[in-house]
Amino acid sequence: MTVLLSVQGLSKTFGGLKAVSGVDLDVAEGEICSVIGPNGAGKTTLFNLISGVLPPSAGRLVFAGRDLREIRPWHFAGIGIGRTFQNLALFKHGTVAENMLTGRHVHLRSTVFDAVLHLGRTRREEIAARRRIEEIIEFLEIEHIRDAVVGTLSYGQQKRVELGRALASDPKLLLLDEMVSGMNREETEDIARFILDIRDQLGITILMIEHDMRIVMDISDRVHVLNFGEKIAGGTPDEVRSDPAVLEAYLGSKHGRAEPARGEAAAHVG
Amino acid sequence: MRSGTFKETYPELIALTDSRLVWFWGAVLAIALAAAPYLVNAYLLSLLTAILITVTGVLGLNILTGYTGLISLGHVGFLVTGAYGYAVVSGRWGLPPLLGFAASGSVAALLSLVVGAPSLRLRGLYLAITTLAFAFIVSHLIIEAAPLTNGARGITVERPSFGGLSFASDQAFAHLCLAIAILTLFGTLNLRRSRIGRAFVAIRDNDIAARAMGVNLHAYKLLAFTTSAFVTGIAGALYGIYLSYVSVEGFPFLLSIEALAILIVGGLGSPLGAILGTIFVTLLPELTRSALAMFGSEAEALFSTGAQELKSILYGVVIILFLRFEPRGLVGIWHDIRRLWVHWPLRF
Repeated sequence: MTVLLSVQGLSKTFGGLKAVSGVDLDVAEGEICSVIGPNGAGKTTLFNLISGVLPPSAGRLVFAGRDLREIRPWHFAGIGIGRTFQNLALFKHGTVAENMLTGRHVHLRSTVFDAVLHLGRTRREEIAARRRIEEIIEFLEIEHIRDAVVGTLSYGQQKRVELGRALASDPKLLLLDEMVSGMNREETEDIARFILDIRDQLGITILMIEHDMRIVMDISDRVHVLNFGEKIAGGTPDEVRSDPAVLEAYLGSKHGRAEPARGEAAAHVG
Repeated sequence: MRSGTFKETYPELIALTDSRLVWFWGAVLAIALAAAPYLVNAYLLSLLTAILITVTGVLGLNILTGYTGLISLGHVGFLVTGAYGYAVVSGRWGLPPLLGFAASGSVAALLSLVVGAPSLRLRGLYLAITTLAFAFIVSHLIIEAAPLTNGARGITVERPSFGGLSFASDQAFAHLCLAIAILTLFGTLNLRRSRIGRAFVAIRDNDIAARAMGVNLHAYKLLAFTTSAFVTGIAGALYGIYLSYVSVEGFPFLLSIEALAILIVGGLGSPLGAILGTIFVTLLPELTRSALAMFGSEAEALFSTGAQELKSILYGVVIILFLRFEPRGLVGIWHDIRRLWVHWPLRF
């Protein structure tokens, strides 16, 4: 399997705070890869580094053979890195279709002069973009809300729209930041099915941050565990589940302070 | 009643409107406006021309403040630059008027790169203050650059004639303003449904997400400034011709406030709102004058002596009232009326 994304010794410090320090991980093409860890472990910071929202303090990021330090932040979408955000970052005054068309931005070429006239190239390009958007709308089963204003939709629907917007850029790697947080069981299962379909039907590699252990353990090929900015474990779901370092991070050390009841904690990890 | 919208082709999905009625009534309105100059008296014709020019300018500001969410108090700077660009090129140098119009837009657009640069770092109130300073610097520069601009004495501007058409009469000039306003309207509507318009709105709604979608924030903010300034510059040229005399005094800072008031009253980010807002705000002082006239000639005299001050007060009051009671502006009220019309007697 070829490595699509390689993270080597990646660090990010904010003043004296080490949000991410010396993280190594590889994501192979066609994998579903999860990043887990307690709150404040640096997962979202890691995503912000991979998607160009923040520049790294040290270390290397190689995506499809390219060093990401040489890529300008707004070119990340163009080279095939798409993402969703933890707390929804939709354009809430626009319709669902319009949000997804914005996700298509990197594939469109018209200049301001073409755009004002809306002839020839712009028109063809817009029609082609709309056709692609409709495919994604169908894929995500959101036909009924395609013309709804995003701000009026439910949280779960908005999450799905954001997923659609990320898909609209035809990414090679899709970063999903806590897709199912705040969702009920049924919605979570829907999303899990979409993630599998995205990988299997669209051939997109997935790296996701998730707190919901059921979905992590069910659909991930590999799981990486962060704690206090450092990677403490990585491997298949089964390996991670039985790793002593992971149990310690989630449950506290043996000599630790308030220790949750064993059974409850094991259910949380396992 | 329509039970839903059924579209069968992709071009239908990206059309400006799916309603034939909108096109029909739009055409009727355009024809009525084209016929109006021959039917109304000189006072109403002058008011109509002013409204058409203001619509053009406000549509320009709407690109920046409505779409991209960058507040500019300096648009009067682009307006005066456009007016002088036209006056110098076509008035003083005697070059063809079309070159004058091209110059009015281009000079304003070039200047916008200078004032747009701070917008890459500043936003909200800080950007508003910076653009405010820009407006005053521009009028000062124009007065200082006397060899080019005639300084404080100003430049007399003739009505243009080009392409075998003369726009010397009031009627013909109103037609020119109408044509440019319609072109600007369709231009901004098309811009809004393109990748560029979506990028502008994305910057307004969520700039980090916009960048993750591949929008170069710096480039697009500057682009918003440039397109906005270009359109405003053209409106400035028209306004200069309308006044028939271009001077710094003809472009008071109040025009910037008036344009913002129009956007807020009409509904930010909506070209339809820009038009409704322009009509409302332009007619407001006239209606106030008529209302005051009912209290006798003394009250009316009060209006003519303190016209500028009363206008500022009126703009302030309508901005406050709309922000408090109808933040969506007139376009919001319009949508409510339309919904009521379609769904009555049901509430929604």
